[in-house]
Amino acid sequence: MKYALNICHLYPDLMDTYGDRGNIITLVKRCQWRGIKTTLNHISVGDKLDPEKHDIYFFGGGQDRQQMIVGRDLQKKAKDLKKAIEQSSTLLAICGGYQLLQNYFKTLDGTMIKGIGLFDAHTLGSTTRMIQNLLVEINSELYSDITEIYPSTVNRELLTNLIGFENHSGKTYLDKGLKPLGKVIKGAGNNGEDKTEGAVYKNAFGCYLHGSLLPKNLHFADYLITKALKRRYGSVKLKPLDDSIEWQAHKAAIGKTRSRS
Amino acid sequence: MDLRLSLAIIMGKIISFLNKLTGSGATAAPGLYALKIDPHLVKKLTKKLRYGNIIISGTNGKTTTARLTSDIVSTKFRVVHNRQGSNLLRGIASTLISSSSLTGQNPANLGIWEVDEATLPQALENIEPQIIALLNLFRDQLDRYGEVDSIRKKWQTGLLSHGRGTTLILNADDPGISYLGKFFKGKITYFGIGEKKLNLPEISQVADVKHCLNCGQKLNYSTTLSSHLGHYTCPKCRFKRPKPDISASNLKFNSNFSTSIKLTVNGQLLFERYRDLTVNYSLPGLYNVYNVLAAVAIADQLKIDHTKIRQNLESFSAAFGRFQKVTIQGKSAAIFLIKNPTGANEVLRILSQKQNMSILAILNDKIADGRDVSWIWDTNWEILTTKIKRISVSGTRAWDLATRIKYAGMKMSKNNVYENIDYSITKSIGNLSTIDTLIILPTYTAMLEVQKSLARLGGQKWHKD
Repeated sequence: MKYALNICHLYPDLMDTYGDRGNIITLVKRCQWRGIKTTLNHISVGDKLDPEKHDIYFFGGGQDRQQMIVGRDLQKKAKDLKKAIEQSSTLLAICGGYQLLQNYFKTLDGTMIKGIGLFDAHTLGSTTRMIQNLLVEINSELYSDITEIYPSTVNRELLTNLIGFENHSGKTYLDKGLKPLGKVIKGAGNNGEDKTEGAVYKNAFGCYLHGSLLPKNLHFADYLITKALKRRYGSVKLKPLDDSIEWQAHKAAIGKTRSRS
Repeated sequence: MDLRLSLAIIMGKIISFLNKLTGSGATAAPGLYALKIDPHLVKKLTKKLRYGNIIISGTNGKTTTARLTSDIVSTKFRVVHNRQGSNLLRGIASTLISSSSLTGQNPANLGIWEVDEATLPQALENIEPQIIALLNLFRDQLDRYGEVDSIRKKWQTGLLSHGRGTTLILNADDPGISYLGKFFKGKITYFGIGEKKLNLPEISQVADVKHCLNCGQKLNYSTTLSSHLGHYTCPKCRFKRPKPDISASNLKFNSNFSTSIKLTVNGQLLFERYRDLTVNYSLPGLYNVYNVLAAVAIADQLKIDHTKIRQNLESFSAAFGRFQKVTIQGKSAAIFLIKNPTGANEVLRILSQKQNMSILAILNDKIADGRDVSWIWDTNWEILTTKIKRISVSGTRAWDLATRIKYAGMKMSKNNVYENIDYSITKSIGNLSTIDTLIILPTYTAMLEVQKSLARLGGQKWHKD
């Protein structure tokens, strides 16, 4: 059977500051190598978002000024984007994108930037800039889902972590009932206080992991692809790829968090 | 006599002497300690320079521009210049200390200061410059500098306190730079590229300014030259690219990495108005055209004779490691520094005119490189996919770069990944045929290691210090 996925890059012209584009490249390539056809659409300020159309949404980080412009426009797309997630579309949001999908962002000077409340969480501006490699242990439920998509020959140890680089001063607090993406092993994560990193709501994932995240966390990339395929075709077994270089990158980056703070 | 100042200079000179004894290369240390004794040292010493001071800042090209400027204006002035690229306040202090007498007298009469983007506001508080040249602002090491917008805001504040007696030289093609004119009360000179179309391949790039900084409207571009540099107008307010006083046209990028351009200088020069020059110089790429324009704008402002400008442009060799050609064991190599998306994209763009290349790309993540390597995903390696004979990677983040190159659609195997830089050089030179050129693309600290390896392998010295 021929599979096809529609991928949507949200505000790629505005939320593109931190090299998060690698996530899109990775999703597209890993589909292509498996013969899964992908169509990539860009949706930005003023565009209409069709909640039925896309299987995967990606939303990256941007500069403060751009984030304000996007924040205003996103209000107009809030209903449709939330509907898409309720109908089990997959979404990955990083840093600024993650913040805009929460209830609100309160800056240091007290300005409230309204989010769309997809994630029941909020972010408070702070004076500490959290800048470092960030190592996360994936939450147990997610971990067991991920292990299912890989054959038992793949070392389970490899599937336990996400590694990336965080660079934010906003501190995110999850409200009760919202699950984090994982537990912080090295770095600050959501707020540098409660050891949580990121958030999961249905198939929507938010986090602070730049790097880009997906190229060297291919298990998470494949997990997102599996989720997206499931929405369209039911359970699909992914064709294994030669991932030796990506795993080396994953391990080497984790090694960085051990050799220095 | 200023005792505090003399004490600071003595302290600086002693540290510098001890550094030399121990062979330490810590060029900023004398300045660092001297500034603790006299925090106004830079202010006092730069004031003594008879013909004033020139400040050059921007994300890309400040080292090359400052060196080029220094070479050109040395034909008329005795220049003191932080030539080794130590561009924080302490580096400037070190340079001043080493050329001053104990009472602070300096045989030089003009200061040329390359200044780090984040240090510019502080430099403007300490130096009363005759000329400030601002080249560009691009995303660079976000973990160190923060976002482009926040740097620009600090520059705005810094510029407000200068005006009369200072000339501001701005890049007309960068809307984030030309916008700064609004915050300056003195004379402004603009430089830019007049070309509508370049003889370089198109490349998809990241842009850091897309909206009008006055009113937030999306800018219209009739020409995009590199990243957000080009010919722009705001459809809503009056903001648009200023007409440059110094401009380049007829750009030709040659296959030996040299460039020829036609220079038009129609500033308020008293002795030679509307003079055209076609210049050939041995620096590659679009980014160096901007460096040349900025240097010419400064030289013109200082009323340097145009024939002298031309002579010095044509005999200039690139600043340390930015671009070098070298022969090693009968084989040739060319080194291009890559350090941020825009700079790297322009290098890849020049290279994409070649075929069958052998490339060694080296990614480090030390503090001076930026510890976040995310930026490699904003560089367009895809443009080289069909132009490669062999590509290898090295550096502390070799595997990240290997992944990037694999996802750009190039063949990448574990055998082409060398974690050790010295070994990667030996190996790549060994694999190279005598008719090919090895293209080495290192980040900043990787470039320093490459220099050592090449020296060890007997590479000839190819540039002056």
